[in-house]
Amino acid sequence: MRFVRFVAFSMVRAWQGFWRNAMMSLAATATVVLMLVLLSGLFIVLGGLNSGLEFIESKVGVTARLREQLPDAEREALTAEVLTLEGVSGADYVSPEVAMDRLRQAYRDQGQVLDLGGAEITLYASLEISLSDPSFAEGVSSALTGRPEVERITTRQVDYNKLLGIIGVIRTAGIAALGLVGLTVLFMIVNMIRIAVYSRSTEIEIMRLVGASDSFIRWPFIFEGILCGLLGAVITILMVAVAWDPIQPIMVRVFQMPTAVSSQFLGVLSAIILGVGLGVGAIGSWISVRSNLSASG
Amino acid sequence: MTSMLARPIALRPATGEPVITMADVGMTYPNGKVALVDVTVTILAGDFVFLVGQSGAGKSTFIRLLIREQLATAGRVVVAGHDLARIRRSQVPGLRRRIGIVFQDFRLLPAKTVFENVAFALEVTGGTRQEIRRRVPQLLNLVGLHEHDDHLPTQLSGGELQRVAIARALVHDPAMLIADEPTGNLDPVTSWEIIQLLIQINAMGTTVLMATHNQEIVNAMRRRVVALEQGRLVRDEFGAAYEREY
Repeated sequence: MRFVRFVAFSMVRAWQGFWRNAMMSLAATATVVLMLVLLSGLFIVLGGLNSGLEFIESKVGVTARLREQLPDAEREALTAEVLTLEGVSGADYVSPEVAMDRLRQAYRDQGQVLDLGGAEITLYASLEISLSDPSFAEGVSSALTGRPEVERITTRQVDYNKLLGIIGVIRTAGIAALGLVGLTVLFMIVNMIRIAVYSRSTEIEIMRLVGASDSFIRWPFIFEGILCGLLGAVITILMVAVAWDPIQPIMVRVFQMPTAVSSQFLGVLSAIILGVGLGVGAIGSWISVRSNLSASG
Repeated sequence: MTSMLARPIALRPATGEPVITMADVGMTYPNGKVALVDVTVTILAGDFVFLVGQSGAGKSTFIRLLIREQLATAGRVVVAGHDLARIRRSQVPGLRRRIGIVFQDFRLLPAKTVFENVAFALEVTGGTRQEIRRRVPQLLNLVGLHEHDDHLPTQLSGGELQRVAIARALVHDPAMLIADEPTGNLDPVTSWEIIQLLIQINAMGTTVLMATHNQEIVNAMRRRVVALEQGRLVRDEFGAAYEREY
């Protein structure tokens, strides 16, 4: 019961303190929002790019364009040989007719009709080789290079490597930016609490003289920092929830790949935002309270 | 003015248990300033003691040591059975609840009413609402401010402000009340009203230690006088005057 009274007391005092220095408190909250928006943006972009990476990963394979009029026996021998290569999980023959059907389908998917103007076009036959891991693409590709049955080899390894590079850069830049903004937020909260301690110095002195324990003196300030983080987190979660649907098609347009992340991710992201907001608020206020209230016993 | 006193002047020393024991206490600040030198004094439960001396004589340091705002650099200070150099930091709030303290400048919270200022001392030490509702009116009644409980400090006179401070100091029913120049900001008539109140509180069993420059009050009261001069205890007399009389 005493603990409940203590928590209730601290929370009420934190609320009063937050609004007593409203300008400073709201400025600190705004920096928390800025940090959390940046964090959310980073998570959403990285989440989207990882989805894209998974998509490309599933598509990374080697396509061997076959020589025209390749006899079935040679093709089957080549297929059997390819299946023995390391990292190859499958090899499908795509005939010129199937290739044409796919091309027509691709046009249909975009709402267009393939119009050849009456010309007779024959597409190449190919062997689509799927891999157990994209890293085997280079080995398989070089094993097939120079083979008389094969005219040309294509692979999406380049796309995969490029995307990996982009993700790495975004992650590094994002973490660095987050670190800087995080430090600014801590600085703002430390100062907010320092000003609060200063403006309530008479009150704190009276509390000490009448025998208030350290907990009763310190925790209202720590709750005030937590309140700042909580408010910042709630605002950010609302912003992310509102922006969630419009963001998805924008990302697809920007990155030119299926970057949609599941709506479950929004729940996880909200939990992360809340945790980081509360954590930063608590750490900032704790640092300030430790440095501004410990010395005067 | 002596006719305003509520009860007869007590000339004899109190006979209770020691509430304060200072043995060979010295205090030198980090900047080298020597505030107290070899001070040895014992104050018993029920005593009413005037602590006198010029500004800079060491009165404030004496009080700071008692409430453990500072630790003596030499000797031993025991308050209410606690050796202040040995108690843990977590025990300090408990010790301070056994000592009520009032100051010349009242130290009230201007945005809180009289009731809230007194209740604050209970609230910040974990007091329940029932406790606050029961205890605060009792104390406001004792100091004669029960009809002003909803007034803000800005609406009160100096004497009334000091009464609020005294009520707040008594909220934990302390063994001892320390008053640091409680009449320093008050006119003579109001000063005597505050002294009357302190005498009343002392008569109820609370030990009172009052630091003062007010010669008239000390001379009229004829209580125990502890005098400091340049950090040294130069006089400790019962039924004494402000100045040495021999």
